[in-house]
Amino acid sequence: MREEIIVSGRNNHLIDPHLEIWEWQIPSYLFLGGLAAGILFFAGLYFIQKKEKEYNTAVAIAPIITPFLLVLGLFFLFLDLKHKLYFWQLYTTIKLESPMSWGAWVLMIVTPLSIVWAALHIRSVFPNWDWKFEFLRQFETFIAKYKTPMAWVMMISSVILGIYTGILLSAFNARPLWNTSILGPLFLTSGLSTGAATIILLSKSHKERLAFAKIDLLLIAIELFLIVHMLMGFRASTQVQIDASKLFLGGEFTAVFWVFVIGMGLTIPAILEIFELRAKKIPYIIAPIMVLVGGLILRFIMLHAGQMSRWLY
Amino acid sequence: MAVDTKKCVGCSDCVVACQTENNVPIGYCRDWVVEVTDGTYPQLELELRSERCNHCENAPCVRCCPTGASYIEEGGIVKVKPHKCIGCGACIASCPYDARFVHPKGYVDKCTFCDHRIKDGLKPACVAVCPTKCMYFGDLNDPNSDVSKVLKLRKYKTLIPEAGTIPHLYFLI
Repeated sequence: MREEIIVSGRNNHLIDPHLEIWEWQIPSYLFLGGLAAGILFFAGLYFIQKKEKEYNTAVAIAPIITPFLLVLGLFFLFLDLKHKLYFWQLYTTIKLESPMSWGAWVLMIVTPLSIVWAALHIRSVFPNWDWKFEFLRQFETFIAKYKTPMAWVMMISSVILGIYTGILLSAFNARPLWNTSILGPLFLTSGLSTGAATIILLSKSHKERLAFAKIDLLLIAIELFLIVHMLMGFRASTQVQIDASKLFLGGEFTAVFWVFVIGMGLTIPAILEIFELRAKKIPYIIAPIMVLVGGLILRFIMLHAGQMSRWLY
Repeated sequence: MAVDTKKCVGCSDCVVACQTENNVPIGYCRDWVVEVTDGTYPQLELELRSERCNHCENAPCVRCCPTGASYIEEGGIVKVKPHKCIGCGACIASCPYDARFVHPKGYVDKCTFCDHRIKDGLKPACVAVCPTKCMYFGDLNDPNSDVSKVLKLRKYKTLIPEAGTIPHLYFLI
């Protein structure tokens, strides 16, 4: 038997008895960032493929909410900072080895891009929209010429943003549960899936909804594969990662993980989407809402469980 | 720095000395004492360790800091510049030793090996105050420093070297 205790009574706030440095702000941001990345990816993709008529919601309507998602996400990030007045220091440095640094810069590209894209498509929601000022009108006609290169930048930068939300955590070798390269692709897939779910929710075209239900189904399958793959990787790794996987396989987070993420967030919406594709009558909003809630809970669980996993010495 | 686990009695003097010397806010500490008990009664084995930041050579906290507030000073001491720190918490999450904390003023704080004392030719407060003289401090590149000499004579270990951080806090065993 081995027992290890700190006899001098260390009780550092947010560190002891186990790490709690990140609370609700970070997982909420990871969710919003992933969701915005998902929506912008599909908008860019289907614009490049010239399917903006067929997939009007994906290209023109859903992206209008992304600036709000990103700004809210950034606000949450700001709330998380403990030394808030110095936040601008982020933008005086480019440090490639720090995921948080290049993530901050990617956000500085994606956010303005999403605002411009949303502005260009505002008339698909408000047909009588007028920019009031002449220079804004001029800017609109100017930028509208460059929509294709913009769509390319948007598609690529949204993939980077989506994958970054996972890499941010996986770069921490000190937290064994996060320290897996699967986390980047997993959060990207989950982000794309929540993006597809939002498009289904907003779309009024049955055809578009079915197309995105198909895409979502594929993404859910990939997500399930990645989760199994991640847990298998942990089981086959070192003691600290075996212990980390136990948080989901019998430990503290087992019930929430299997019920809310695997069950209600992935499996049940997948079954509902299969029914829908087979033309069974089911209210179409149930599956995407479950996907969205599942995506949010996945971020929360990964974040909190990760902070409980640690090295032993 | 090297800590002799055979000499340490776990009195926590090093912790109090550090708090006083560095004005560590109440309720926080930059160093701490760990007691490890192995075996079952009556076959028990005890190890006492005065722990702090390991001033790693491959410091994950420095690598992940988005603003460059965390840095390795010439000589190998890992430090934080409060005026560059945004309090994002990345370095805290990245430290396998949980050696950092958020100062109530918002920036991240940690052991500095009392570099203000070293500059004056003194030893860090924890080393200077230790009643059993169980700690050895000095420049690892200088073969005549206290720490280099004791590491030549004694067997030692570092904490979780498998985390790949190349820690520079040695425990004599």
